[in-house]
Amino acid sequence: METCNVLLAGVGGHGVLALSRILAEGALTAGFDVRKSEVHGMSQRGGSVVSEVRYGDRVASPLIPAGGVDVLLSLELLEALRHLPRARPDALVLVNDQRITPAPTGAGPVVAYPADARRRLEAARPDARVIPAHGIAIDLGESRVANVVMLGAFSVLRPEIGPGTWEEMIRLAFRPSLREVNLAAFARGRALLATGPAGATPAP
Amino acid sequence: MTTRILLSGNEAIAEGALEAGAHFATAYPGTPSTEILETLARRGGMRTEWAPNEKVALESACGASLGGARVLVAMKHVGVNVAADPLFSAAYAGVNGGLVLVSADDPAMHSSQNEQDNRHFARAAKIPMLEPSDSQEAKDFTVRAFEISERFDTPVMLRVTTRICHGMSPVEADRDATWPRAPMRPYERDFRKHVLLPANARRRHRFVEQRMRELEELATEDRELNRIFWGDRTVGVITSGVAFQYVREALPGASVLKLGMPHPLPRALVREFAAGVDELYVVEELDPFLEEQVRALGLPAVGKEIFPATGELDPDLVARGLRGEDDAPEPIGAGVVSTPDLPPRPPVLCAGCGHRGVFYTFSKLELVVTGDIGCYTLGALPPLEAMDSCLCMGASVGMAHGMEIALREAGDARRVVGVIGDSTFMHSGITGLINIVYNGGGSTVVVLDNGTTAMTGHQGHPGTGVTASGARGGRVDIAALCRAIGVRRVREVDPYDLGALESALEEELAVDEPSVIICRAVCRLVDRTPIAPSVRLEIECPGCGTCFELGCPALDERDGAAVIDPEACCGCGLCVQVCPFCGLHVEGRTFEAAPVP
Repeated sequence: METCNVLLAGVGGHGVLALSRILAEGALTAGFDVRKSEVHGMSQRGGSVVSEVRYGDRVASPLIPAGGVDVLLSLELLEALRHLPRARPDALVLVNDQRITPAPTGAGPVVAYPADARRRLEAARPDARVIPAHGIAIDLGESRVANVVMLGAFSVLRPEIGPGTWEEMIRLAFRPSLREVNLAAFARGRALLATGPAGATPAP
Repeated sequence: MTTRILLSGNEAIAEGALEAGAHFATAYPGTPSTEILETLARRGGMRTEWAPNEKVALESACGASLGGARVLVAMKHVGVNVAADPLFSAAYAGVNGGLVLVSADDPAMHSSQNEQDNRHFARAAKIPMLEPSDSQEAKDFTVRAFEISERFDTPVMLRVTTRICHGMSPVEADRDATWPRAPMRPYERDFRKHVLLPANARRRHRFVEQRMRELEELATEDRELNRIFWGDRTVGVITSGVAFQYVREALPGASVLKLGMPHPLPRALVREFAAGVDELYVVEELDPFLEEQVRALGLPAVGKEIFPATGELDPDLVARGLRGEDDAPEPIGAGVVSTPDLPPRPPVLCAGCGHRGVFYTFSKLELVVTGDIGCYTLGALPPLEAMDSCLCMGASVGMAHGMEIALREAGDARRVVGVIGDSTFMHSGITGLINIVYNGGGSTVVVLDNGTTAMTGHQGHPGTGVTASGARGGRVDIAALCRAIGVRRVREVDPYDLGALESALEEELAVDEPSVIICRAVCRLVDRTPIAPSVRLEIECPGCGTCFELGCPALDERDGAAVIDPEACCGCGLCVQVCPFCGLHVEGRTFEAAPVP
């Protein structure tokens, strides 16, 4: 298989690094060569967090070549816009509809959170999938599982790795008390795209 | 059983140390090296320690090696500066048990104050260096490094970079195996080797030069370390480390000389390779380390004319350089895109962080602040902007003293304060404070004691009394330590009490003798228990914006007014204290001025 380049983006505390680890482990289990890269250090302090996962028959570089992102998976709208320039024109853009305002700095020229973030995203990528992963996670009673809702949606759109593999990875990744809620999150993410309309969910 | 598992470079180095039967590992935490020791501590099977700094870590390692143990010592690139003193002499003394020093460099400075290229250290100290290009090699080369160390009587540097340390790739490893520890090598006193008096050191230097010649033979002959991949002979690339992967991707057909052991440079192999290709390129991150040595052989290599000497490389930068495109934007870090129309999202001090009020008060009092390395370096950024300098570990204390000398000389009345974290204070702040006491300085130093090494992911340090393995060790009391070295004015102040902070600073800055203010508040990421119930807004906020000057992520702005995020707010009460309209309230906390000691 041609290398699949996944860029995962989000905000510190979102579980981007946990999700990218599951993704990479799943790809390895499914028999692919895998490389993953990220930067630690500031991930828990509310900053932008990015992780890159590449899988395919043979992968060399841990970094995705410029403009070579095949899947942009963002856990936040603004972060999706931020990394959109790295995505190929035909990339799969999968975004959690959550908005998290960066902490106000109170000094210097302030660039406001774009009120039309979702519209801008959908104007740039009409086939972007903006899904309510955060809302589903809240609904499941555990806001931290939005990342696994996203994995469920991803698993429908990139079927080369089967749901059984992902479920196994989820069982391995979480301690027993969090397994069931994460498996439920995965199932909800899958259901969202398996039964939903083919295109983007309608803007509010 | 050997299986194919996904490991980060740091985890793979730990795996290699276990496989090599190492007895002891020591480190000071520093991104991107930290997880090496953390993994070893978690896996068990050898003694692991956090040292107070890298110099002590390497000295412990040298002692353990002398005593016959195999030992791994890990640090970030700037940590090797701290450890340079023992390193250069350990190169002469050599080893008994194998000694491997991991230098984790940070090109692009994802979490560092400079992007120095530590390959120069291996050359300057005259020790061999191995450079893995993925996790598999990180494990395998660690094992090899121990063998080379013992066979050639030398410390060995294993040089890695952020993309190796924090990159993951498959590794053939047996994680269930219980690796036997290497047999202890007997210790025998050897005055001529280990006591570096001039007469002995002169003899050892001659040994070192001979050793490097023998190591060059190994580098030339060992195909596992250094190998040629013949391909298209029109283009030949010499490369090492993660840059090898970028070359494979950008130039899949080219001939490549991959240097897993770039120092000492296998000159015969380089000549053989150069003779076999039409055009010779050197692709390496940061300095022209290999390129200059290749050119010194009289070979016309192309390198830094077309590839950047700053930041990281990536497959695209390699391809652009070869195509002669010089329109590449100044690299800031691989994958970093410029989006000026979007609000930036830099890391911030957490909601309820004990450092926030201290920097707010520095800013209010318009102090000159010499800062240091840690989460609290974020206090330099808007809106707090309360830091004048951040140089290296411990520099806040030394620089506060020097600034006071200079400002006094200039007749400048501005007041100076040094600010340093608890772990950094243990690392190298204490010596600066001894200097102030000894030389009759009058500086005020604020120690931000959050009870952990927060920036690197919450490791213990001597002030916490919790060791790398999680066991209870001895605990060094910072206040008692300061008093013991002769600081008479040592006081503790609640960092959530702005009035107390301000009066303590005013008082200590007014006194012309050394003083230490310790601000103790456990890191919010360690103890997430709310300090008090979430702050409530009890008036219609007029939107003066004063509370935004705290830069608290629990405070949001909506149509000019303050909004509190009850999930993020932990009731630290700083915003309550700064609100000029008394519109904010927090239950169960009262604020009074601190008593004068």
